[in-house]
Amino acid sequence: MSVAINIENVVKRFGKDTIINGLSLNIKEGEFFTLLGPSGCGKTTLLRMIIGFNSIEGGEIKLDEKLINNIPTNKRNMGMVFQNYAIFPHMSVKDNVAFGLKRQKMSKKEIDEKVDEILKIVKIDHLKDRMPVKLSGGQQQRVALARAIVIHPEVLLMDEPLSNLDAKLRVEMRNAIKRIQQQIGITTVYVTHDQEEALAVSDRIAVMNGGVIQQIDTPKRIYQRPSNTFVATFIGQSNILDGQVIKNNSEEGIKIFDAFFAMTNLSKNCTNMEDVKVSIRPEEFILSMDNKDGIKGVVKSSVFLGINTNYFIELENGKEIEVIQASDALEAIPNDSTVYLKLQTEKINVFNNEGTNSLIEGV
Amino acid sequence: MNGTKEKKLNIWNLSTFIIMAFAILFIIYPLVLILYKSVISGSGNLSFAYFTKFFQKKYYWSTLINSFKVTIVATVISTLLGLMMAYLLRSIVIAGNKYLNIMIVMSYLSPPFIGAYAWIQLLGRNGFITRILNTFLPVKFTGIYGFAGIVLVFSLQSFPLVYMYTSGALKSLDNSLVEAAESLGCNLWDRVRLIIVPLVTPTLLASSLLVFMRVFSDFGTPMLIGEGYKTFPVMIYGQFMGEVSTDDHFAAALCVIIIGITLLLFFLQRFLSAKFTYSMTALKPMEAVKIGGVKNILVHLLVYGIVFVAILPQLTVITTSFLKTGSGGLYTGGFTLENYYNTLLSKNNNSAILNTYLFGFMAIVIVVVLGIIIAYLSARKRSFFTSTLDTLTMLPYIIPGSVLGIAFLYGFNTKPLLLSGTAIIMIISLSVRRMPYTIRSSTAIIGQISPSVEEAAVSLGCNELQSFLKITVPMMLTGVLSGAIMSWVTLISELSSSIILYTSKTQTLTVAIYAEVIRSSFGNAAAYSTILTVTSILSLLIFFKVSGKSDISI
Repeated sequence: MSVAINIENVVKRFGKDTIINGLSLNIKEGEFFTLLGPSGCGKTTLLRMIIGFNSIEGGEIKLDEKLINNIPTNKRNMGMVFQNYAIFPHMSVKDNVAFGLKRQKMSKKEIDEKVDEILKIVKIDHLKDRMPVKLSGGQQQRVALARAIVIHPEVLLMDEPLSNLDAKLRVEMRNAIKRIQQQIGITTVYVTHDQEEALAVSDRIAVMNGGVIQQIDTPKRIYQRPSNTFVATFIGQSNILDGQVIKNNSEEGIKIFDAFFAMTNLSKNCTNMEDVKVSIRPEEFILSMDNKDGIKGVVKSSVFLGINTNYFIELENGKEIEVIQASDALEAIPNDSTVYLKLQTEKINVFNNEGTNSLIEGV
Repeated sequence: MNGTKEKKLNIWNLSTFIIMAFAILFIIYPLVLILYKSVISGSGNLSFAYFTKFFQKKYYWSTLINSFKVTIVATVISTLLGLMMAYLLRSIVIAGNKYLNIMIVMSYLSPPFIGAYAWIQLLGRNGFITRILNTFLPVKFTGIYGFAGIVLVFSLQSFPLVYMYTSGALKSLDNSLVEAAESLGCNLWDRVRLIIVPLVTPTLLASSLLVFMRVFSDFGTPMLIGEGYKTFPVMIYGQFMGEVSTDDHFAAALCVIIIGITLLLFFLQRFLSAKFTYSMTALKPMEAVKIGGVKNILVHLLVYGIVFVAILPQLTVITTSFLKTGSGGLYTGGFTLENYYNTLLSKNNNSAILNTYLFGFMAIVIVVVLGIIIAYLSARKRSFFTSTLDTLTMLPYIIPGSVLGIAFLYGFNTKPLLLSGTAIIMIISLSVRRMPYTIRSSTAIIGQISPSVEEAAVSLGCNELQSFLKITVPMMLTGVLSGAIMSWVTLISELSSSIILYTSKTQTLTVAIYAEVIRSSFGNAAAYSTILTVTSILSLLIFFKVSGKSDISI
């Protein structure tokens, strides 16, 4: 039942503007695949090309081996959940959900059964006869989801489905979506600009920027081993510092200011004394006041956040970085203290000086 | 505010009472008088004889049936036409759609009876098109009169109203609903049938009921093109102004009947619009798409065809205004400016033009000033009196123009309230007729101004009156001004009450056109109509400039 989506060299133009220029992507069957990127990166455009609301100016989109470029949307058998849910305001919950089934010329009995079944799955069977005006945002979301999957689409598409919900409901709904997707096992393409949401629900994520895919990987790999500085800074937070590769007979690692950090996972392509960008997440620093080696800095301010305390530290060249440390029983380090930073070298990432390629082995 | 119950005579109370007095004198009193006359016999006893007379004689009640027939058919046709035009123009890129829009609005703004008279010129017994048809038709076409003629004129004249409303509703319709339906397997026809039409139904109902009321109470059109087909308003006019015999009491009873019907319709509309309203957040409005090929050509032909037919009366009128006419209104061929010379420059005739401008302007000043105050009072100073005032001033909405005219004549033809025959009665009747629309739009505008803006002004040291004049009024001004321009365009094309109230000194353009048509002096009628049309076009252009909008709501 599930299908793979093969996107090959697709091009999208609006008038004279080329939004997507030769993008390729393979989404596996049954996969929960997320397109993640800042607004205007082309993720929604790509989604609307898959469902057929946007025309395709070049390249091919195939479901398994079937070319769908010229199949009209209403014949593509894809379900879509819209950003604003697009619940039909003049129909009850039941009629909204039954809408697509009625198009398929199903018997009334069969429709009723399917509607009941899906409403149970999304847990709103008690709201069957409500009008949409009387539904909360989360309930509308569930109706939209039920309506899209009840037609047994080959592909389920979701366009920022959680962006209109409040924070708490967003977490609840994304878990529900993930659960239902696993239960049905349908190939799903999900669009979001919220990286936490993407990490939470996806099997794989494609990070997009400027119409170009930056990286396709599992959430864990995307976070831990970003393939360029855009991904490193867009997913989670990263401090980007200038450094140099040190690679000679006695040692291998990177130098930041005067501090040397030995590394074992640098790519073989690195050359000695090569300028690089070192990407360090706030939690990958080890902060110390006594130990005089490491990168020297001065604490400018700190914010206590419960489990962790965030420090804003100014380095010798004036650059300010953010460091997260577990809050310990002791008082926080006072402002204007001089501190020394060491790194969890197995976690940090190193990129070429342009920030376009990772210099970590295997990325 | 200070906790005491002491009634203070402030500016708001004062204006409430002044306007209340105005409303009682010019709305309640004439209506009550009509009601009174309808149930009191000539000898002064209570009697329902006038109503029984109406329902007993087929000659009378058949006019009511006729009215319903033409009104229902014309309403259905204009609703379908309006919906179709609105959908086509919103969903498909049509070359020159901005101009089409203006032309559609234009065709709505001219008074219906001008349409009737123009269509007689084209399709009447001796009409331009009739003569062409009869040169090769086997059966002689005798012209479009009666039922068909009335329906033709009203449908073409009213669909723009449905068009304007529906077009606005389509603009606020969220396109993702349509896309959702598409993704669920709907083809184009199903999307229109199952999603778009149901969602604009509240608007369709509201606008078609407006059309219904307008068509039902119009008398100029059936008078001119109806010939033997007599409608109810024509009969009222006949009973009141008739040359053979007039019966005030019977005419009053007819007025009561028509008010009863429009009142029912008004409540029906209220009920329906309360029942079907969907709040929609148009995240993505519908976008017009380009289509190609034969379909594109067909759609363009259809849209341009309908718009052309709709403005054909105006074109006819403008063209004929430059034609030479001989005796009996026959065109003798050749072009001339004689008609304009006769209307614009002749001392006897040009007063109609001046009157129209003067009365229209005075009435606008009155409705705008009163409209702002009443809207402000009912929105911000809610009390028993202000909401009563609000309801009272909405009453004229359901009173057909001719009924108002008759009521005014009954009410103000004796001392001390001797106003009939004066310019004042013309101006007041125009103001009263337009008041509900102005109040409604002003209330909507006030609704968009947050009270905290006024509170801010008060906190900075303004008193209430100052904050009203310095903050609220300027903020409302653009909206009110564009509303006033639309009111002006509507007022200068008003016929049904003016035709009853005018005297030779207070004749307006529409009255003059009507009189010239009756007199078969088509040249002058055409010139007057053209002056009216040009005034409307200019006003419309000013409206677009002032409001910065390209859409119109009436």
